[in-house]
Amino acid sequence: MNNVRLVLIGLLIPSLLMIPYSIISFYTDFANKNPEPAQVTVSFQGKVYNAIEGKRAFEQYQCMGCHSIVGNGAYFGPDLTNVYKRIKGNDAALAAYLLSGVPAKGMPPMREREMSEEDAYRTVAFLKYAQMLDTNGWPNNGSWDRDGNIDGVPAKQISPSGIWQIILGIIFINFLIFIVIMVYESEKEEEHD
Amino acid sequence: MIEYPSIARTGKYFVTAILLFIFQMILGLIMSFDFVLRGTSNTPVPFDILKSLHLNVMVLWLLLGFIGGLYFLLPKEVGRDVKYPVLIDFQFWFLLLIGIGIIISELFFTGKNWWLVEGREYVEAGRFWDILLTLGLLSVVYNVGITIHERKRHMSSPMLVLAAGAVGSILMYIPGEIWFNSIIAAEYFRWWVVHYWVEATFELIAAGAIALILLSITDVRREIIEKYLAIEVALVLITGIIGQGHHYYWIGTPGFWLFVGGLFSALEPVPLFLMAWSAYKDLKENKKPMQNKVALYMIIGATLGNLLGAGVWGFIHTLPQINFFTHGTQITASHAHFATPGTYLFLVLGFAYIAIPALSDRTNFFQLRGKIGFWILVIGFLNMIIALLLAGIIQVQLQRISGMSFMEVQNILLPFYGWRTIGGVIALMGGLVVTYDIIMIGRKKIV
Ligand code: HEC
Ligand SMILES: [Fe+2]
Repeated sequence: MNNVRLVLIGLLIPSLLMIPYSIISFYTDFANKNPEPAQVTVSFQGKVYNAIEGKRAFEQYQCMGCHSIVGNGAYFGPDLTNVYKRIKGNDAALAAYLLSGVPAKGMPPMREREMSEEDAYRTVAFLKYAQMLDTNGWPNNGSWDRDGNIDGVPAKQISPSGIWQIILGIIFINFLIFIVIMVYESEKEEEHD
Repeated sequence: MIEYPSIARTGKYFVTAILLFIFQMILGLIMSFDFVLRGTSNTPVPFDILKSLHLNVMVLWLLLGFIGGLYFLLPKEVGRDVKYPVLIDFQFWFLLLIGIGIIISELFFTGKNWWLVEGREYVEAGRFWDILLTLGLLSVVYNVGITIHERKRHMSSPMLVLAAGAVGSILMYIPGEIWFNSIIAAEYFRWWVVHYWVEATFELIAAGAIALILLSITDVRREIIEKYLAIEVALVLITGIIGQGHHYYWIGTPGFWLFVGGLFSALEPVPLFLMAWSAYKDLKENKKPMQNKVALYMIIGATLGNLLGAGVWGFIHTLPQINFFTHGTQITASHAHFATPGTYLFLVLGFAYIAIPALSDRTNFFQLRGKIGFWILVIGFLNMIIALLLAGIIQVQLQRISGMSFMEVQNILLPFYGWRTIGGVIALMGGLVVTYDIIMIGRKKIV
């Protein structure tokens, strides 16, 4: 009976605390000064696209399957939170980049995925919005993620000599793992006798 | 031989879960080639689709494994058979169909239809599948709930914890499905799915299941095994529910999360330590010769994987002062590849090694093959984990502190990605040994 009470306290107190915490996070003066997505827009050929449509396009084309946004997502490509800054707020350049990609570095041409120019500009609106978020200073000042340029470094591939450099490390670590297994198994043997 | 006929229907849950796990590993292995042969490999399926499949297939086999385990253990604990046994079959095929639907959608409709693919990490399955999946899972809740409601016996606390964890997991799928215009709110609630699964409800499943499995393979008294359970559960909830805050440092939410999230998530290893320690004590106390060594290996693996992968590897980057630099790097990948297979893979394998021999009446099966499979899995995963950890440390130093560009750093990390691929190949071999073993134990007896 006491146990049930303990578990219920463990469940209810933190759960109830999540309610004021969530309200403070979004609806009070404590909340960070974040932009309203409907108001962040880019225009293309006389039409205006906002960051809400942009978010939907960002999800639909699964950018998060290779990239991270506010640091969440995949790590195959760079974080996109500040890429709009990196490209110096040039909407047309960013849209063109998305559509033609850099296949040699793993960024697919979104045109091949049937992304329309409109959707490209929608995505740009979303990236413009992302860069305005108040993320408590992340990524850190001075790191490439904040102040860098569009990445011009060509991608390399692994070469056999590359892996040879760390082969000693691999052998060493696996030797350690092997010893642990042997110690564990021999102790089990003793217990049997 | 089998007291409650409905458990004969659970065998297919475990076998399918393990086969899907193999599929997940193959997907991961292909993705690892995208890292080492960047741009030139042209793997037939693009990275983002492989990645979403890698995650969604995992969610599917975790759910199948947990539901199978729940249905397998429930009747004995409540003293009656599951209320609607046909639902066990029906739910299996329904979930499997949804899984196939999700896989096909990912492969052919990514970027084309937001209702079929949403492209948000972990919850990529589109709205259409979300709704079907939620309905299927709610029917599991119903079947389990009504069975518990009409129980013939006082229900033991581990079973209650396990059932509460399963129900909680299913409910926690819903917050991630709400549409928000703001990326902040969307991420805020997407983490309710991911974090509350792996750091709250799945942990309850693990705590309950480990206790029940220890009960079934040792002769330690119930009271002793159950003694720590309530404290473990209370601590998991107290630290985990507010520990959510470690996902709210940098997504646009207020700075108080740095304090609250840091404080509570730093305490998250405490219940995991308690779980490992009490399991250790129970095993020390045990006098009964243990027949099913492989199940024991899996359970020890799960408790240690939980303690080290979730506890220690989580702790090293959960404080905001550190996370500021490690967030979004390979450190996270190392943690994820330690905590998830370390805890939940071994847990599902533990279920399988308890259930399959019992269902196929081969309780004196040959043990060596399963043990070898276990160790190969461990070696493979440890290689991946260490390679990714080193890659992460270098990435933090060069990209996040020194300010080198992303691609420049990726080029430097190539040898470590190569090491990770080697680890992946080893882990896949271990997985194949275990799968072969389980299929051999269950052959011709379970469908
Ligand atoms: C198949 C994986 C993949 C997908 C899907 C993908 N990208 Fe990329 N993207 C990459 C890679 C890899 C790079 C790295 C190129 C580099 O660093 O020069 C990249 C680079 C970029 C860059 C330049 C970043 C920089 O700072 O240099 C932008 C902008 C970008 N992607 C946006 C997007 C958007 C928007 C989407 C969704 C519509 C998307 N990407 C989808 C893999 C992907
Ligand atoms: Fe978490």
